[in-house]
Amino acid sequence: MSSPAHTAGHAAVRADGLVKTFGRTRALDGLDLTVETGEVHGFLGPNGAGKTTTIRILLGQMRADGGRIALLGGDPWRDATELHRRLAYVPGDVTLWPSLTGGEVIDLLGRARGGLDPRRRAELLERFELDPRKKCRTYSKGNRQKVALVAAFASDAELLVLDEPTSGLDPLMEAVFNECVLREKRAGRTVLLSSHILSEVETLCDRVSIIRAGRTVESGSLADLRHLTRTSVTAELIGPAPGLATLPGVHDLTVDGARLRCQVDGDALTAVLAELAGAGVRTLTTQPPTLEELFLRHYEGAAR
Amino acid sequence: MTGTWVLIRLILRRDRVLLPVWIAISALMPASIASATADLYAGQAARDAFAAASVSNPAQLAMRGPIYDASVGGLTAWTLGSSLALIGGLVSILLMTRHTRVEEETGRRELLSSGVIGRHAPLAAALAVVLAANLLLGLLSVPALVAGGLPAGSSLLFGLSIAAGGWAFAAVAAVTAQLTASSGAARGIAIAIGGLLFALRSLADAGGIGRLAWLTPFGWVRLTRPYAGDQWWVLGLIAVFVAALAAAAFALSIRRDVAGGLVAVRPGPATGALRGPFGLAARLHRGPLAGFAIGFGLMGALLGVAARGLDTQLDTPQFQELAATIGGAGARVSDVFFTFVMYVLSQLVTGAALVSALRARGEEAAGRAELLLSTPVGRLRWALSHLAFAVVGPVLLLAALGAAAGLAYDGDVARVTGATLAYLPAVWIVVGIATLLFGLLPRSAAPASWTVLGLFLVVDLLAEFKLATGVVLDLSPFVHVPAMLLGGASSPVVPLLGLTVAAVILAAAGLAFLRRRDLMPSA
Repeated sequence: MSSPAHTAGHAAVRADGLVKTFGRTRALDGLDLTVETGEVHGFLGPNGAGKTTTIRILLGQMRADGGRIALLGGDPWRDATELHRRLAYVPGDVTLWPSLTGGEVIDLLGRARGGLDPRRRAELLERFELDPRKKCRTYSKGNRQKVALVAAFASDAELLVLDEPTSGLDPLMEAVFNECVLREKRAGRTVLLSSHILSEVETLCDRVSIIRAGRTVESGSLADLRHLTRTSVTAELIGPAPGLATLPGVHDLTVDGARLRCQVDGDALTAVLAELAGAGVRTLTTQPPTLEELFLRHYEGAAR
Repeated sequence: MTGTWVLIRLILRRDRVLLPVWIAISALMPASIASATADLYAGQAARDAFAAASVSNPAQLAMRGPIYDASVGGLTAWTLGSSLALIGGLVSILLMTRHTRVEEETGRRELLSSGVIGRHAPLAAALAVVLAANLLLGLLSVPALVAGGLPAGSSLLFGLSIAAGGWAFAAVAAVTAQLTASSGAARGIAIAIGGLLFALRSLADAGGIGRLAWLTPFGWVRLTRPYAGDQWWVLGLIAVFVAALAAAAFALSIRRDVAGGLVAVRPGPATGALRGPFGLAARLHRGPLAGFAIGFGLMGALLGVAARGLDTQLDTPQFQELAATIGGAGARVSDVFFTFVMYVLSQLVTGAALVSALRARGEEAAGRAELLLSTPVGRLRWALSHLAFAVVGPVLLLAALGAAAGLAYDGDVARVTGATLAYLPAVWIVVGIATLLFGLLPRSAAPASWTVLGLFLVVDLLAEFKLATGVVLDLSPFVHVPAMLLGGASSPVVPLLGLTVAAVILAAAGLAFLRRRDLMPSA
C-alpha cells in the first residue's frame, strides 16, 4: 500500500508501530501513519479507534510505549517546544477559558505561536461569523471550535493538526472550513485531518489512513482504496440474465421482475457488464463507492 | 422533578469516596473529643478551671463562643460546635457548587437535560444528597456519644446541631449557584458569605454583644445549647432559614437559562493583550487573589479592633497566668490573642494558596492546557506560571492580614506583619505537597492535597487536647512556626529556612515528575 513518496524521508509525520497502553487497555497497537509534506491527509476511524491518542503523542503530550515516531523531522516528545513553533492544533473537544473573550484567546494562541496575520484574522472572523467580543463561557461547542480554527488558520504554521474539527459546525460553516483547508493546501502547508465524517475527507484529502482498534487497516490515496470496494449496479433488463447469480464478485443480488440490483467487485465489472449486455439493457445506473461504503466494509468485516 | 432520583444516583456514584470519608471523619470527632475531655479533665473542678480559663481568652471566644456548661458534654459541644459547622459548611458549599453550577458550566447539564430530566431535578438532587449526608453524619455521631455516658436526648440535639451547620450553607450555595454563570464566582460568594457570618458570630461573642449571635447560623448551632438546657426550638429557626433559601433558589432557577446566570455576561474586548502563559496566569489568578486579599484584610482589621482593649480589659490574674503559660512571663494578653488567631488564619491562607497551586491541574483536567501546550509554551514554563501565584499569593494574603491587624491595633504594622509572614514557609510546604501530587498523581492531586491540609488541621486540633504528641505532632508544618510575637524561638531563621528548603524540594520534585508524565485531561 505504500505510495512512492512513502520512502522519500521528508514526511511531515512518520509513525511506525506505535504502541500506547492505558492500564490494561491497548489504545494503540502498532499504528503506522505517514503524512507527506504538502498533502492533506485524512485520518479516519470510529470513536475510540485511537485517533486522539495518536495526535496527543504527535504533540508530545503523551509518550508512546513502543514504536518510532518523527514529527517534522524531530522527536515530538523531546523537541516539543521547538516543533510547536511550526504547527497549529485544533483539539476535538475545544475547551477555553470561560472569563476570556474569543478575541483574547485567538490573540493569546497567536502570540504564543509567534504572531498571526491581523488581516487574515479579521477575514476569518468574518467568514466564520464569529463575534470575538463574547466571553468564552457563552460560546456553543461550534463557536469554541471556530475560535481554535481561526487561531490555527491565521497562523503561518507549516503543519495543521485538526482533530475532528467540524463536529460542532453547521453545513454552511463546514463549507467555509473546506475552503480554508484547500487554501492551506494551495499554500503548500501540510494538514492532518482526523475525522469520522467521510464526505469531508473525500472532498479534501489526497490520501487517507484508516485505523481501527489502534491499528492502521488501510492507507493510501482514495484511488488506491477504491479497488477494494464494490460498485453498486442498478439495471432494467429486456431479457433474463441467469448467469449473473453465479458470477464470482457479485453480491447482494436482488431481482424484481425486470429490475435488478447488485454490488459488484471492481475486478468483476467487465464480466457483469458482458452478462447484462447479453440480456439486453433498457436502463443502467452504476455508482462509484463512497468512502462511506468503503469504511463500513472495513468495520463490518472486523466486527464479525 | 422528573429524573431527580437518577441524578441522585449519579452524584452518589461520583462522590462515592468523598462522601463516606467526610461523613466518617465528622461523625467520629464528637465522641473522640468527648472521651479526651473526660480523660484530661476528670473532675468537675478541673473542668471548671479549664472553662474559666477558656472563656477569659478572647481568641477562644472568637473562635468557639461561650461555654454554656462545664460538663464533659458541654465542653465537647463548645469545642466542636463552631469547627464542625465551619467544616460541614465548607464541604456543603463545595459539593453544592460541584453538582449544580459546575455541571452547567462544563456543558454536562445540557447533555443530561436533553434526556428526561425535569427543570428542578438537578438542584433538588444536589440538595437532597448534601442535606442527607449532613443529617447522616450528625445522627451517626450520636450512638458513640451515648455509649460514652452522655445523655441521649442532648446527644441527639448535638448531632442535629452539627447537621444544621452544613444544612445552612448548602442552602446558601444553592442560591449563589443561581446568580452567576461562573462556578468560581458561585463558590467564592458562598464562602465569602460564610466568612462574614462567622465573623459576625466572633464579634458577638468576643465583643460581648451576645445578641448578634442570633443573626447567624454559626450562632444558632451553638444556641441550641446541647448538654446545657437543650433549646430544641432553635433547630426550627435553622429549618426555616434553610427552607426559605431553598425556595428562593428554586424560584431563581426558573428565571434563568441553563448555563446562564441572573447576572448577565457582558461582552469584552475583541482583541487581547495577554502575553504568553504568565500573562494568562495573571489574568486567571488576579480575581480570586484580590478577593481573598480583601477578605483577609477585613478579618485582620476586625481582629486588630477586637484586640485593642484586651490588655486592660482582661487584666485578671487568671488570664495573666494563662498568658504566662503560653507566652512566657510578661507576655502581653493581646500578643497571646494574635498568636492564637494567626495560627488558625494561616491555615485559611493555606486553603487560598491551595486553590492557586491546584489551578494548573484544573487547567489540565479541563483540556485547556492541551491547547496552550500545543503552542511553543513548554510544560515547565506553563506549570511555573501557575506555581508563581501559589508562592507569591500567600505573601500578599499574610501581609494583608498582618498589616490590617497591626494598623487597626496600635499602628505597629511591621510587628504583626512579621508574625503573620512567619507562616509563609508552612504555607509553602502545603503548596509544595500539592505540586508534588500534581506531578505524581494528577488525577487525585486535588482531593489528596485538601485531605493533607485537613489532616494538618486535625493534628492541630488533637494536639490541643494532647491527643497528638511527638512524631504525629511534628508532621504538621504549622507546629514548627515560631510564635514571633511571643519571642518563641531564640532564632526564627533556622526552622523557617528548613521549612522553605523542604517546600522547594517538594515542588521541584513535582515539576520533575510533571515533565516526565503524560498529560491527563479528565475526558
